[in-house]
Amino acid sequence: MVSKVSLVRLENGGADLKSGVSKAFDLIGFEIPSSVKTVVIKVNLCYYWNASTGQTTDPLLVSALIQHLREQCGHDVEFRIAEADASAMKTKYAFPLLGYTRLAEKEKVKLVNLSEDLIEEKELQINSRKIVLRVPKMLLESDLFINMPKLKVMRATHISCAMKNLFGCIALPGKVKYHPFLAEAIVAINKVLKPHVNLVDGIVALGKYPVKFNLLMAAQSTFAADYVAAQVMGYNPSSMKFLNLSIKELHENPNEIDVLGEAIEPFRKCFPTENTLVARAKMRLQLFLLKTYSRLSGDIIPPSIDDA
Amino acid sequence: MRCDKSMVRVGFIGLGQMGRMHLLNCLNIENVKVIAVADPSKKALNKAKTLGVTNLYQDYHELLKKEHTNLDAVVISVPNFLHFDTIRLSLEHSLNVFTEKPLAISVEQCKEIVNIVRNSAKKFMIGHNLRFVPAVEKIKADLQKGIIGNLEVATIEEILNGPFSHPRVPAPVADWWFDPYKSGGGVLIDIGYHMIDLFRFFAEEDAKVEFADLSYKYSLPVEEGAIVVLSTTKSSIKGIINVGWYQRSVFPKYNFRAVLHGDAGYLSTEEFVPKKIYRYAAKEVAKNLLRRVTGRKIKTLSYTYYWESYYRELVSFFESIEKDLETPITALDGLKTIQVIEEAYSLCKKTNGVTAVG
Repeated sequence: MVSKVSLVRLENGGADLKSGVSKAFDLIGFEIPSSVKTVVIKVNLCYYWNASTGQTTDPLLVSALIQHLREQCGHDVEFRIAEADASAMKTKYAFPLLGYTRLAEKEKVKLVNLSEDLIEEKELQINSRKIVLRVPKMLLESDLFINMPKLKVMRATHISCAMKNLFGCIALPGKVKYHPFLAEAIVAINKVLKPHVNLVDGIVALGKYPVKFNLLMAAQSTFAADYVAAQVMGYNPSSMKFLNLSIKELHENPNEIDVLGEAIEPFRKCFPTENTLVARAKMRLQLFLLKTYSRLSGDIIPPSIDDA
Repeated sequence: MRCDKSMVRVGFIGLGQMGRMHLLNCLNIENVKVIAVADPSKKALNKAKTLGVTNLYQDYHELLKKEHTNLDAVVISVPNFLHFDTIRLSLEHSLNVFTEKPLAISVEQCKEIVNIVRNSAKKFMIGHNLRFVPAVEKIKADLQKGIIGNLEVATIEEILNGPFSHPRVPAPVADWWFDPYKSGGGVLIDIGYHMIDLFRFFAEEDAKVEFADLSYKYSLPVEEGAIVVLSTTKSSIKGIINVGWYQRSVFPKYNFRAVLHGDAGYLSTEEFVPKKIYRYAAKEVAKNLLRRVTGRKIKTLSYTYYWESYYRELVSFFESIEKDLETPITALDGLKTIQVIEEAYSLCKKTNGVTAVG
């Protein structure tokens, strides 16, 4: 079955986000299931840096999505905007700081810390590795689950988009413990969680630096969204471990992806691609040199740099 | 604890990021011996143990009670709301005190500390490290030489992440930062404190608040941005303070500058800060390795440029003890800075965030 991915360029600097959302969904033929009573929107609030930095989902886009959905399914639907605490981020600060508390008041929706939700423990075998996940029940039981990732680079996985955003659902604040086998953990959570649709926030994308990209992407397949997102950001998707692992473990097929709407190329040309391998190697080399210098000279390394 | 009499024996209260920084620095200072440390975190105490500290306490009261006779001084790096108690108790145990800023979280507390220090005959210093940054020292020296004539306006700013800086090993921000009863406020008392102190340092006069605007865009109980206009009480020198916690900053980039505008010219820290920080760091590293090979003393943290100031302020404190000198930053400096901050907060409360006076 062909997975459709839409690319929509937002006009007037994103002035009309609602019509952008509508167009992105229409292109992939996404129809909201009937009798929807609860909608969960998983945003990406990885840290306390606001949407203009390209790190976190824009609350204005979330607001536009809610308005679009209300027009489609009426006003008695309960909306929940969800995020889980992370190793260095607490949702109790991220929600107000990034404009979500204000959004919740305005749109009359609930903000949910997934770390405090009822949990179902899942044990999976990915790439011969046993992975135990704490999955919020709400995401398994909601009528409509929408994944709203960012379009950005991440040194550990090259890109962070739809599949990595679901990793953020794991109800364990110290998710850093999965980092030694991050690709496997990403695939594992994607085996458990299947959003009805992914709406990628590329209004500001993050490469080497943030860039106003004015792009919305929609896809029902999380894998397809990431496969195309990688190309949009100028990376070769087949070089990404978590995508290759998805082909093997989730039986995904990159040859059956149909890109609709705008072409990839004009976006790729504008994206400030970062060579993540070089960036990681540079960082490790710097730390190695610093530690060597410290050993030889007796000079100190500030704890904020070397606090392992 | 047996120790050479010429050694200054030090205890540490608080081993958070700043406490650990001071501890590492102390271990590199000649004639200083770290005797004991206190921190509620076992992990922090274990780190201190790996550095050779043997007397470890989870409660600073215990450290003061059991070790005060073995100590000459303490270095305090605790959350703001604990400054008053830790300083007071340390002075009551007849110890010289180096404390992280701010002096305390209210004028009332600061006044009490000033009185205790006056009656103690002990050395007391606050960590106003920016005064020890080479570029700041340089423009202060040039100002004193009269290079720019009379100082008219100083603009001093620092924008960074503050409590939102993402550590290399991820850890969540401590809750006390956002509780005004524990922190004393937001970015104004955190970073603005340094800027206001620098203004007083350059102008060499007391300051009062002319205008203050605090920003609460983050919807937190404390402000994440502040712009304050100051004026000195005698010469009406103006100071423009601009501080923020809202910017994603990544080491070694550091968004700080001070510009002094005078009648005959201007001075800016930007002119003296290394333009290419990696090249500068490499040179300093090479120089230190050469110093080590030739048996000379290294310049601790010089490769970081700004953070060398943390080392130099401690050296200055211990010199004050050894040579019986007045410390360069006194409790009165802390009180006067907190008075300005409290004035700014109180004016903002009256005018719902934005204030213009007279």
